[in-house]
Amino acid sequence: MLCRGRWIVEFPRMRAYAWYFIRRLGQFLLVVFVGINVVFIVTHATPIDPVEQAISSATQFGQSDPRAVEIMRKALRELYGLNGTIWEQYVTFWRRLVTGDFGPSLSAFPTPVSALIAQALPWTAGLLSTSTLIAWGAGNLLGGLAGYYRKNRLLKGIGIAATGLQPIPSYIMSLVVLILFGYLWPILPISGGFQMNISPELNIRFLSSVVTHSILPVLSLVLITIGAWFVGMRSLVSNIVTEDYVVYAELAGVDRRRILGSYIMRNALLPQLTGLALSLGAIFNGAVITEFVFGYPGLGTLLVRGVNSGDYSLVLGIASISIVAVAAAVFVIDLLYPLLDPRVKIE
Amino acid sequence: MKTPISYFGVFLVSAIGLAGNAFGQASYLAGIPRNEVLICENPEGRITNPAWFNIWVVNHGGVSTGLQQLGMDTLWYIDADAGIDGVWDNSLASEKPAYNSDFTQMTVKLRPGIYWSDGVEFTADDVVYTVETQMKNPSTVWGAAFLASVDSVTAPDKNTVVFKLKRPNSRFHAIFTVRWNAAWIMPKHIFEKQPDPTKFDFNPPVTLGPYTLKSFDPNGGWYIWQRRDDWQRTTLARFGEPGPKYVAYIDPGPPDKRVILQLNHELDIIHDTTPEGVFTLAKQSPSTHFWFKGFPYAHPDPTLPAVILNNQVEMFKNRDVRWALALFIDIKAVSLASYRGAATISAIGVPPTGLYPKYYFDPLEDWLKNFEIDTGKSKYKPYDPTVAQQIADSLRPSMGNQIPKDPKEIATAFGRGWWKPNPQVAAELLERAGYKKSANQWMKPDGTPFSITLLVEGEPRPTMTRAGTMIAQEWRQFGIDAKTQAYPSGFFPRVASGDYEAAIAWSVETWGGHPDLSFFLDSWHSEFLKPPGQMQPPRNWQRVSNPEFDKIIEQIRAIGFDDPKGVELGQQYIKVAVKEMPTIPLMSYNVFTCMDTTYWTGYPSAESDPYTDPVPNWANTKYMMVKLKPTGKKQ
Repeated sequence: MLCRGRWIVEFPRMRAYAWYFIRRLGQFLLVVFVGINVVFIVTHATPIDPVEQAISSATQFGQSDPRAVEIMRKALRELYGLNGTIWEQYVTFWRRLVTGDFGPSLSAFPTPVSALIAQALPWTAGLLSTSTLIAWGAGNLLGGLAGYYRKNRLLKGIGIAATGLQPIPSYIMSLVVLILFGYLWPILPISGGFQMNISPELNIRFLSSVVTHSILPVLSLVLITIGAWFVGMRSLVSNIVTEDYVVYAELAGVDRRRILGSYIMRNALLPQLTGLALSLGAIFNGAVITEFVFGYPGLGTLLVRGVNSGDYSLVLGIASISIVAVAAAVFVIDLLYPLLDPRVKIE
Repeated sequence: MKTPISYFGVFLVSAIGLAGNAFGQASYLAGIPRNEVLICENPEGRITNPAWFNIWVVNHGGVSTGLQQLGMDTLWYIDADAGIDGVWDNSLASEKPAYNSDFTQMTVKLRPGIYWSDGVEFTADDVVYTVETQMKNPSTVWGAAFLASVDSVTAPDKNTVVFKLKRPNSRFHAIFTVRWNAAWIMPKHIFEKQPDPTKFDFNPPVTLGPYTLKSFDPNGGWYIWQRRDDWQRTTLARFGEPGPKYVAYIDPGPPDKRVILQLNHELDIIHDTTPEGVFTLAKQSPSTHFWFKGFPYAHPDPTLPAVILNNQVEMFKNRDVRWALALFIDIKAVSLASYRGAATISAIGVPPTGLYPKYYFDPLEDWLKNFEIDTGKSKYKPYDPTVAQQIADSLRPSMGNQIPKDPKEIATAFGRGWWKPNPQVAAELLERAGYKKSANQWMKPDGTPFSITLLVEGEPRPTMTRAGTMIAQEWRQFGIDAKTQAYPSGFFPRVASGDYEAAIAWSVETWGGHPDLSFFLDSWHSEFLKPPGQMQPPRNWQRVSNPEFDKIIEQIRAIGFDDPKGVELGQQYIKVAVKEMPTIPLMSYNVFTCMDTTYWTGYPSAESDPYTDPVPNWANTKYMMVKLKPTGKKQ
């Protein structure tokens, strides 16, 4: 309960913040609506026809009586619900979407798209959130140290290594890690999300297998993403160390660790937090190449399969989740920024 | 200030090392000794719909997970190679199909004493149920085919099935005859309890094959099958006990990784990899066994990649143009570009694999040597019987003893002859077709540049893409504005749509072990030809319409499957195809299957025991199981 005096001061701010919240919410909903519509148009404009893809896969190796193909085409079109107009499909799509139903997958019919996504999502979320947080934490810590202790040779060396690794294509990095720890020094598993013939249950055996199998995929992702955080943080810290309040603190004899932690890093972290939120939002796109190389389950592979098979429902489902996730990340950061950074004023 | 950095370094190295020590030495498959399991590549990769085993539904999920190889069974199998006991195997049927005189009825006698994995006896009712259920659901994999052919199906007794057909069809049995797959038999006692059989996941599958599903990755990365305790009550028991107690089908990832896994002895059978991957294994892995003991290592599948020319496109309606394009191609360069020389070339319209050299290549060799093209200005015999020999000779300096010297071995491995490139004769043919050369560019009769877009699949099929790139380059060299277009997604539907000029694909697939050509040729009949703009049903992708082909096809339809006249008619087809050149045949589809002999021995081989196609996504793989024996190596 605020006292009356404080209420008088705080009420206009709260009202401004509420108005700011409503505007940002409106922007969030608009972005989601436009984004999902764009994906709907793009997926339906693709020349890949899921029925023809299905016929092709069903007849490619086996018997293919030409008389039968026409019958199959008609039956599949009806089964997949593709007989209606594009407008009818659009209305059906939104009607389903608002209830969280993406409909059945056309390439894994009749399994619901939501079931396929639910199956892949935990793996992608686990892999990418872990690698993003490790890369973000380590990159910022080392970048901050490198920006402050600019003459330290070890940090310079780490800087060279991190920036050198950054441009390496994901596929090459994954293969290098795989050859190093899977062949030359074969100490870690290189395939799958967990050991074969283990039942995926919440027990130590399964969890330790999951952790072991994720080390190399995470390592390959961390190695190519750590550089960006490192360089960003080093630049930010390099600018902040020249600020008057830092120089004053140093002259005042404040402990250097405290200067680094409380005066420099804390201020430098704000833009990095925005980047982190966006990166975490983008994890729903999956990591196709890493998943492919390490045979790791996830949304990336699922999305590529959906695209290749013309599975509108699956592509729309994954894209919709990704759009909502990225837009939500931006929305949350927008809401938090005025609270985290007192320099940001809400009018 | 070294402390935090040191901490980080120590943490990283320790984490990897500890993890390795703690988990790296764990068994590859939990609870299964390595020497009891055969590990095969599933070329489908990670399965989107892993828990779905209803193989009768289109797009149901994985097929090459071991499901069709180890769990399914049907009436007959034809092997792509020599076969375990001849190419034809009566599997669930006890004898060959019996047709009436006008091929409107087919009677099948079933093998008694065969049981489903849940202990229920397999009977004629299962076959009848399979057909009737799918006919009621034409969206199922074989439903439309049954609907198009079957008038009625009955079971007079538990070991007899009688099909009455809607029209004469001497090849109806082919629907139940495995080449790569076939119509699998459904367990009536399981499916009849389901309200909608097309929405039933069939998990766990009840099998007729010698294995049952032990466990699978809910994310579709691996499937492990266990030999049935009652394997004696399956059709495979006629050939002995399956060697591996367990068989795993896994998604091993990209080609480089498959090679690493085999070098680590963690993948017994690589389905396919790159030529470079094979050369690495040949050099570094003494335990790896290939179909051919030396070059080209790969198994030639009974499929014929070719330059498919869309015969409904104006410029390809003229035979002279089609032949001119063939004479601009140097197959040696195409072989080197596509398979690094490890190709088995074919000049004629059937693949040079299985028993086809005996049925078609040897008997036609003299005819090919004497085949003559008359351009109006000159006469030319285009067939060069020494091309395969030339490819072998060109590879010998770099590959040494891996290249055979015996002409018979060269013919088996590299093929026989092909067309001699001859730009002069090709130019005469183009000129007769009304084409003119202006500067270094050929112009069409309407005065526009002669340009060709050659459709290739791109990244999913690198060998064929490389072949297309080389052919386009060769055509450009001789003044044709040719370019390739990669179309990785939806390649085959696009070819079927006719929205292409030329493509590297295949419209010829054969039994391999049996000479009958109806498997692909029947669909080449002009009665099935669609006008431009409409989808062409498989497999006449070249959209050819030719009365001579029609006549041959009709004659094949009128004779029995094993009638010796079939070979004669097949040879006639080849001669017409050579004259007309509706597609330009290139080579067989070589699959680089690599088999590790560390834990298992008894794999098929071209030289010593070609008892089956080793490519592990073929349903015939089940025959390999009874020939494979453990080497005795412990984990």
